[in-house]
Amino acid sequence: MQPLRAPARHRTPLVAAGILLGAGLGGFVDGIVLHQILQWHNMLSGQLPPDTLVRAKVNMYWDGLFHAAVWVLTAVGLRLLWSATGRADVPHSGPTLAGGLLLGWGLFNVVEGVIDHELLGLHHVYEYTPNHLPADLAFLGFGVLLLAGGWGLVQAGRQ
Amino acid sequence: MKNLSFLLVWLLPSGGAWACAWCRPRVQAGIHNAAYSANLALVLLPVAVLLALGVGLFYWDRLRPRFAPGRAAA
Repeated sequence: MQPLRAPARHRTPLVAAGILLGAGLGGFVDGIVLHQILQWHNMLSGQLPPDTLVRAKVNMYWDGLFHAAVWVLTAVGLRLLWSATGRADVPHSGPTLAGGLLLGWGLFNVVEGVIDHELLGLHHVYEYTPNHLPADLAFLGFGVLLLAGGWGLVQAGRQ
Repeated sequence: MKNLSFLLVWLLPSGGAWACAWCRPRVQAGIHNAAYSANLALVLLPVAVLLALGVGLFYWDRLRPRFAPGRAAA
């Protein structure tokens, strides 16, 4: 008689949904905290410094588009989370989802930091200084820490 | 003094709403210029990368066979 085998467990959909949700929420943290509350930068402040009302309002428009885009990211993540939790082969694991969320936030910082800050120069984390590198590197470093924490939680969710 | 106070109370709430009524055409011109499409693509690029990554990972089980080495020969 063959022993009963447990059905295969797939955690990847849960991690993927967590990544999209985490990236979207991380985008909101960036937009709300760094753009609006602290006003360290705006979306195009590297190319169009918000030193007049008109320029500030043009930057506000692009900040709004960025917020709309991360809203879509969050909504898609929520849809995928709904889909993942309805599957019998996907475990209901809090650490795995939490790990995915941290991975997503970390990925947001790294991807946005590399593309917008370093490659394209659309803006820098702290615009109002001659040396942008320290704040940009701190933003990237925080992203790497989040990635490490997220990876650890996803691994912990295996048990 | 009373008139001045009235003027201040009247101006304070209305200041934000009317501050840029006259500059709206310049704001619109600053947004919808020749660089609009390029700016749109650049602003959305990181989000598009993250979206592709997350959705790709979610459907990885279905996508993986498409990238299997034996598929090209078959």
